[in-house]
Amino acid sequence: MSVTRIEVKDLVVRYGDQVAVNGVSFTVGRGEHVTLLGPSGCGKTTTLRSIAGLEQPTGGSISIDGQAMYDASQRRNIPTEQRGVSMVFQSYAVWPHMTVFDNVAYGLRVRKQGAADIKSNVERALDLVQMRHLADRPASKLSGGQQQRVALARAVAFSPTVVLFDEPLSNLDAKLRAEMRVELRELQRRLDITSVYVTHDQEEALAISDRVIVMNVGIIEQIGTPEQIYNKPRSRFVADFVGSANLIKGKPAGDGAFLTDGGVNLKVTSGHKPTGKENEVAVRTAYIDLAPRPGENHVPGTVRQRLFHGDFVQYVIDSALGPLIVRRPPTNLLEEGAAVTLSFSPEHCVLLEA
Amino acid sequence: MTVITGEALRPRHNWQAIITIVLLLAVSFLVILPLVFLVEESLNTGDPMAFPPEAYGFANYIAIFDEDIRVLWNTLIIAVMATVMAILIGFTLAWILTRTNVPGRATLERLMELPYYMTPLVGALAWAVIAGPKSGFINQLWKAAGGGGDIADVYTHFGIAWIMALFEGTVAFVMISASMKSMDPALEESARVMGASKLRTTLTVTLPLVMPGVLGAALFVFAEMLGSFAAALVIGIPARIYVITTAIWDSTLAYPPDYGRASAMGLMLFVVMFGMLTFYRRMINRGSFATITGKAFRPRPMDMGRLAWLLFGVCCLYILLAVVLPIGALVLTSLQRFATVVLSQAEFTLANYRTALALGPVRTAMGNSLMLGFGVASVGVLVMVVLVWIIYRSQLVGRGAVEYLVMFPQAVPRLVFGLALLWAWLNIPIPIYGTLWLLALAYFTVMLPLGVRTLAGVVLQIDKSLEECARVCGAGWVYQMRTVTLPLLKPGVLAAWLLIFMACVRELGASVFLMGPNAKVIAPSIVNAFATSGTELTAAMALIQTFTVIVALAILFRLTRGATKELT
Repeated sequence: MSVTRIEVKDLVVRYGDQVAVNGVSFTVGRGEHVTLLGPSGCGKTTTLRSIAGLEQPTGGSISIDGQAMYDASQRRNIPTEQRGVSMVFQSYAVWPHMTVFDNVAYGLRVRKQGAADIKSNVERALDLVQMRHLADRPASKLSGGQQQRVALARAVAFSPTVVLFDEPLSNLDAKLRAEMRVELRELQRRLDITSVYVTHDQEEALAISDRVIVMNVGIIEQIGTPEQIYNKPRSRFVADFVGSANLIKGKPAGDGAFLTDGGVNLKVTSGHKPTGKENEVAVRTAYIDLAPRPGENHVPGTVRQRLFHGDFVQYVIDSALGPLIVRRPPTNLLEEGAAVTLSFSPEHCVLLEA
Repeated sequence: MTVITGEALRPRHNWQAIITIVLLLAVSFLVILPLVFLVEESLNTGDPMAFPPEAYGFANYIAIFDEDIRVLWNTLIIAVMATVMAILIGFTLAWILTRTNVPGRATLERLMELPYYMTPLVGALAWAVIAGPKSGFINQLWKAAGGGGDIADVYTHFGIAWIMALFEGTVAFVMISASMKSMDPALEESARVMGASKLRTTLTVTLPLVMPGVLGAALFVFAEMLGSFAAALVIGIPARIYVITTAIWDSTLAYPPDYGRASAMGLMLFVVMFGMLTFYRRMINRGSFATITGKAFRPRPMDMGRLAWLLFGVCCLYILLAVVLPIGALVLTSLQRFATVVLSQAEFTLANYRTALALGPVRTAMGNSLMLGFGVASVGVLVMVVLVWIIYRSQLVGRGAVEYLVMFPQAVPRLVFGLALLWAWLNIPIPIYGTLWLLALAYFTVMLPLGVRTLAGVVLQIDKSLEECARVCGAGWVYQMRTVTLPLLKPGVLAAWLLIFMACVRELGASVFLMGPNAKVIAPSIVNAFATSGTELTAAMALIQTFTVIVALAILFRLTRGATKELT
């Protein structure tokens, strides 16, 4: 990986008795797009705000480009405005008393740039989000999607090297959110920026990041590329929170084998070095076929329930593994009561850490 | 593109901490110090004018119970009567205006604010004109109609309580209707769905839910009534009915002034009011206001059929008694040389206005009041913005203490605060006693809760990330305040400015003690005029003051409407 841009080490944030972040460490490389993913209250936003200097941590250190921004041992905490990072807020935080232009120009004016530079930089930023034609409009007269774009343009206008995103798409409706995801990814590629992105939406996290950090109750559960997180979840929490998975209880039976509580012997894989104490495997609902395929785990079952979702069909299949959820494309519909053979490769049957 | 990183930004001083410390010191100097002086003087059993006291003891407190028990009794009776009336009026009006389909509801609701802006002083003068014995308008009409004797006399316990309830009790309406509005209509609707009748729903759901709000209002209003001064001064002193506030005032007028006794009484009043307000706050914080979710609902109004017009009449009657009659009576009086309501005998003249405006002292008093209003509002609002920001936005240690300090004057009756400041500044070797400067300091201090509360409402509405974003963009605290916070606060700043301005122009309780021969202000001058010259001249002066307040109010509504439109 390239040069480290942001380094967070053993970060702890406490509010009175409550621990919001409990010893979190990770690095973000130059030009990398890292997403902090987790349910609300997992400490992801607190971590992000600590990087921005908007939250006062209790321990650990944060450095950007090798310079300590926060260091508990040195009692050092650089004020937000001197950290040189930029941020897009969940509420957009577009100032209603200014025009679109003034909003975007703010960071440039703080840095005392000349009028001509300001104009050209603002226009370039507005072009990036296709908002140049609205430059003179009062910010209070913008729709939600337009405000989102202005917030984005404002965050990149002063050419920051690090941009922090705090759930920037969570206030948009589903359709606009999908569109903005595409644009965000495009923008990240075009500008040479490093970004840390916070979201509770696993689809969004998988779609737009180079690496995903899954957090829960103030600690990191797993760090990895979107594919690693999805295909090789390390813990029950990750398997359950990211995507949808069936969790099957049992115990390891040595050498890539797993004996389920229902007495079925499965061939499994593992993202970690097995310890023998594991008691669960995860199988993604999308990786189970309902017709036998050679070389895979096979278990007979019956369709108990069928729910037609449009883009996919969800079946509940009764089998020796217990009721399993299976998602298939909406072709070749099976009737409730039909006999099927569950088939999934050992590659997709992941042993979870105990 | 040029890359500008953290190092390119100039380091900044920690302005926030410096400003906070300076403000904290200044506010505690203004708020706490006078009360310390007051406590010391109340324990002074030697020469009351000596400072520091030659002997300490509780004689002043004991003397109150020995000699002034009648005063305490009057205070209690009048406060209870006024509270009961204020709550009855407030509850009835709140219920009509929030829960029924009374015609013209929006307009009526607006009109309900008027009595508050009339001020108790003007109200008391007006009711003295309307219902005074012999020459009062009601009695004049009664005599003209052939009746004998007086049928109305406002110079009684009940009369004082009546005026207090009408003009100071409006807060009961505001508080009760707030608790009615904040009730989720689904709570009532589900009772109806379960099969309860309208009456049963009202008795088992509505009333129990509104009750804490009503009790809270009663407690709050009672505390206010104990410290009420204007009506007791205008009506009570001629009628020789003394309550604790007028007794405090009276003992400072004696020769030699008995500051020890006045301080002891003031502190007693303060302790009782403080206790009640603390209890009131605890009551709210405990969450017994289960109905208040922070969200305002517009409950579906009950259809009252033809009864709606009767309810409309009730609202109009209140407006008539609290606004139309008093203003009408004052106008009528101010336009005559000898006030009469029998129009065939009336001789109309503008002489009273000419006299009022020509009298040097009146003119300077009005000028001083306006000047103080302008100055205190302008400087005060700026300081208050910073205070509010520190209390509700900063993460500084001790911001809770700042809030407590700033809201403290609310629990101190104005009059007691005036007395405390008088005694403090008689003894602090900075010669501002008897000047407008001391009045300005006093006004600023007593207006702190009003201004801070108004501004806090607006600050809390501003999304915190609007400010955080400025910091992330590289702005320091001062730059952020100037470019983001202050512009966003504009409507609140305007509202606070005008409210403070109006309150200063009408200030009576603190002014009576602090006004000097060369620093007169208008409200005490009106009281003086009422005591020494005719009601006709006083009426003209009161109307001139009221008119000024109305003009300020009109500007307030215009400006805030414009400013809020801009932002939405």
